[in-house]
Amino acid sequence: MRLYILHKTHYRYPSPVCESFNELRLHPLTNDWQSCESCFVSVLPTTQVRQYLDLNGNLVHHFEIPNDHSKLLIESRSTVGTQKRVDFDNLPYGATMKSLHEVEGNPNCRPYLQSSNFIDISPGIWRMAVDIQENSKDVFQTAYQIMEYIYLNFEYCVSTTSVNTHANEVLERKKGVCQDFAHAGIALCRCLGIPARYVSGYFYDPTRDQSMRGSGASHAWLEVLVNGSGWFGLDPTNNRVVDDNYVIIGSGRDYRDVSPVTGTYFGRLPESMKVDVQVKRLDS
Amino acid sequence: MLSRVADNLYWMSRYVERAEGVTRLVEVNRDTDLEFYASEIKRDYWQSALCAMCAVDDFANDEIDDHELFILFSKKWSSSVLTCINMARENARMVRDQLSEEIWVELNNLYLFLNSSTFPEKFRSDPENFFRRTIRFSLVFQGLSDATIHHDEGWRFMSLGRYLERSDQTSRVIDTLTMLGEEPTRLDLIGALRSCSALSAYRRQYQGALSLRNVADFLLFSRDFPRSLRFAVSRIDTLLHEISGVPSGNFSNEAERLTGSALAQLNFSGIESLLADGLHESIDHLQRKLIEVGQSIFETYVLLPFEIKNAGVAPMAQRQMQQQ
Amino acid sequence: MNPNTFENYQTENFFDEMFGNSNDSNIFEFYKPIYDRITDLTESEFEQKKKQADSSFLEHGVTFTVYGDDIGTERIFPFDLVPRVIPDKEWQKVEQGLRQRILALNLFLNDVYHGGKIISDGVIPEEVVKTSAHFRKEMVGFDVPQDIYIHVCGSDLIRDEKGKYLVLEDNARCPSGASYLLENREIMKKTFPRTYQKMSVRSVEEYPEILLRSLENLTPRKLQKPVCVLLTPGVYNSAYFEHTFLARQMGIEIVEGKDLIAIDGFVYMRTTQGLVQVDVIYRRLDDEFLDPLFFNKNSLLGVSGLMDAYLKGNVAIANGIGTGVVDDKVTYAYVPEMIHYYLGQDPMIEQVPTYLCWREKDRKFVLENLSELVVKSANESGGYGMLIGNISTQKEREEFASRIKDNPRDYIAQPIISLSRHPTFCPHGVEGRHIDLRPFILYGEDIEIVPGGLTRVALEKNSLVVNSSQGGGSKDTWVLSN
Repeated sequence: MRLYILHKTHYRYPSPVCESFNELRLHPLTNDWQSCESCFVSVLPTTQVRQYLDLNGNLVHHFEIPNDHSKLLIESRSTVGTQKRVDFDNLPYGATMKSLHEVEGNPNCRPYLQSSNFIDISPGIWRMAVDIQENSKDVFQTAYQIMEYIYLNFEYCVSTTSVNTHANEVLERKKGVCQDFAHAGIALCRCLGIPARYVSGYFYDPTRDQSMRGSGASHAWLEVLVNGSGWFGLDPTNNRVVDDNYVIIGSGRDYRDVSPVTGTYFGRLPESMKVDVQVKRLDS
Repeated sequence: MLSRVADNLYWMSRYVERAEGVTRLVEVNRDTDLEFYASEIKRDYWQSALCAMCAVDDFANDEIDDHELFILFSKKWSSSVLTCINMARENARMVRDQLSEEIWVELNNLYLFLNSSTFPEKFRSDPENFFRRTIRFSLVFQGLSDATIHHDEGWRFMSLGRYLERSDQTSRVIDTLTMLGEEPTRLDLIGALRSCSALSAYRRQYQGALSLRNVADFLLFSRDFPRSLRFAVSRIDTLLHEISGVPSGNFSNEAERLTGSALAQLNFSGIESLLADGLHESIDHLQRKLIEVGQSIFETYVLLPFEIKNAGVAPMAQRQMQQQ
Repeated sequence: MNPNTFENYQTENFFDEMFGNSNDSNIFEFYKPIYDRITDLTESEFEQKKKQADSSFLEHGVTFTVYGDDIGTERIFPFDLVPRVIPDKEWQKVEQGLRQRILALNLFLNDVYHGGKIISDGVIPEEVVKTSAHFRKEMVGFDVPQDIYIHVCGSDLIRDEKGKYLVLEDNARCPSGASYLLENREIMKKTFPRTYQKMSVRSVEEYPEILLRSLENLTPRKLQKPVCVLLTPGVYNSAYFEHTFLARQMGIEIVEGKDLIAIDGFVYMRTTQGLVQVDVIYRRLDDEFLDPLFFNKNSLLGVSGLMDAYLKGNVAIANGIGTGVVDDKVTYAYVPEMIHYYLGQDPMIEQVPTYLCWREKDRKFVLENLSELVVKSANESGGYGMLIGNISTQKEREEFASRIKDNPRDYIAQPIISLSRHPTFCPHGVEGRHIDLRPFILYGEDIEIVPGGLTRVALEKNSLVVNSSQGGGSKDTWVLSN
């Protein structure tokens, strides 16, 4: 599938701000099942934009605007080719929960098994995870149940949480948006020893009535490592195994590692921040 | 619609109509010329034609010293057939996207014919062809505008141009009869009727009785003949009300008011009272009213209120300067 | 001889769109269906198709006016029946490269009219911008609606002897040709309906719709249906046909300067129903004619007070004012640097190496190598003001040399690129003719490019000049889906 994504972020400040330093993680990844044909990140007021690869392998654009400005417009336009990465008739069952100790020592997996900024490994969450696991002995099966549990029991609800809401709070209040659902899923998986990471990206809603969630904004979900088969994406917001309708920008331990726009500046809080994401299919 | 477009459409059809009228006049005059020659009566009817068209001075100042050629082909005089066709085409060109392809092609063909380098030669050898072609063109043009264009606002402005010009032409023709300085002869009356393409229609109504009273009555008051003044003014009245959306009998602008008053005069007075007031004076009065109607249309639909006071008193002359 | 025969077809040393570099006449697979169709035609079938196409153009009145001709002759834009075919994958790259380029150009305009960071950072010399003939100091500090300067961009593309796409120049003021693109397609669909269908050619007919959307996007009155108009210089303009065509397709009024009036910072059009406020003006008139109070005092084409209304934000104008800076061929030389600077990446489509005569070193090189270069005036278009070194006379070269010395800022030079060739119907069978491509990039809510564009073809044998004013013709461009 070829997808085109236009992602606009528009800040307006009540009075001019200055010394703005920002990092953008908006450039879709290229890997075995996704190729980013092009991605143009543009910034207004105009300034020089540079890029580097961060430790998680994500392409970061960064820029500074020293002079006074009262609005900041960040746009990215990406064209991405995606492939089906899962065979739905042949999901990666077979890795047992017992075998998880094999990955535990793998240094590449360590970060995805521990607590991080938004995620705690705690006995309370572990108990909840074990309840969800029931008698599943399979890694993928367990992760799938966790996704389904969140989808069925959590309320999707805008503006009850913020960009800084911790997984603990989400698990307790069972409310939130995709970022929160992903954090919750990651916390539950990690407590059971399943390596789980946070993925930021976009979702193309293939349904005619646009009934799915997350296609009008930047989306997030989690990926779990199934030993022997690799990473698999699970989207608790839509109860869906990630397929070629998803575009990955990047992944990390949690939101903090991949937040699309981060930065600092001198001045007052923005009076408005508008985010608009349009995902278009190019090849149909 | 854009005022300019309305204006262009109005003038385009007005010029076409004028070209036809002037052509007929010349054609008839040529003919009468022959007849008079045979009857050995000396009369300067070319002069009276020029007089009726207010072109005496223009003729005096033009390099063409032949009356006929001047009326047909003067490049300086604004109502020569050549100028009319050129101006009609110029106006059409400005709004070509509003016209049907057929209209454009017909008009452009006549324009190319008249302006071709071989035309003077062709005219010398076969003038009849020119008269036929020009008159025919005008008729085709009318047919095409009725048959190939939306009868919307633009079409109404075209029709307005046509009927205003026609009322002007017809009144001038009658006026010529009053300016002969003596009682018009049978030939003069026939000439007047033919200038309005009204000879056979007249005969059907009056069974051949030719008199100034009857001819003037027919050309002024006929309810059904499309070149009578009354017919034309009645059409203008309808069209103006269709454009403004104001019901007939009321008026929302000066053009409607003046037209209404002219129409009332034509509807409710008769030839006798006109003759009593003096034919020339009455026609002159009507004519001035119609000129004012044209001016008011321009002021209502083309000019902006604050531009009117600067608009000058001779809109036709000003307009031509704008276009050249 | 049968005009549709490829019997004596020679690709010579050029890149051929149908046969590539090879002389072994291996046709590209994607050209096969149309090639077969054309070669299957009998001579009389072919003549008939040609006649059909020509009369179709006449009927629609698809004409342009040639300048320098007293009577303002209207001509048909010559049309060639062999379509240019661009496969899916190739077009995708071109499309993305164009998107990248217009983004950078638009950012550059935002920058130079708002402080010029790219200048203070030393990437582009200040004098390049400030001495550009189309730099409009009136626009400094003004925020254009939606921050978009270039709403319609025509960046001409050529292919070199290896088939690589290169940008030849940018037209960010009033690029024309979109009407031919649409008319050509109508005619080709009638001429080769089955082949057209079989090759699943991507449609271009959305263009007027997208253009209108891009215009409406700029309206200052967000709460009501915007009133957009197309402002034309008038019937004597060479592109008048295009203006009426596009206005009709979009269903908006085509107006001349005298139809508009600016009162107290608002622009209105004069209609028979009174004054109607105008929100967006798609102008097909150069900056300097727009407003006699601001620019050319003698312009009768513009509207007094228009700039005032524009600068007050009460009316939007597309393309924005001052976009001509990027049409300047000296600015053009810096576009790769702009892309690096604003987007932090390399250009996806390269461009023709350019020598800037105001640089001492470049000028010396240019003057010494005039016969191997194309010299262009920085601010002329339409194939005017140009010296093609290898076919120039000694006298012409001397004249250009002295012009360059007198006014180095106004001249640039580029190596002579052998443009790709395309099979084209000629009186003695099919022959290769040089072509370029003018795509139309629309920048509204987002950037949209109708697939393909107008392929222009130099009908004279060996001529490299494709402009309609210089005897060029056009072809339909078929971008295939998958």
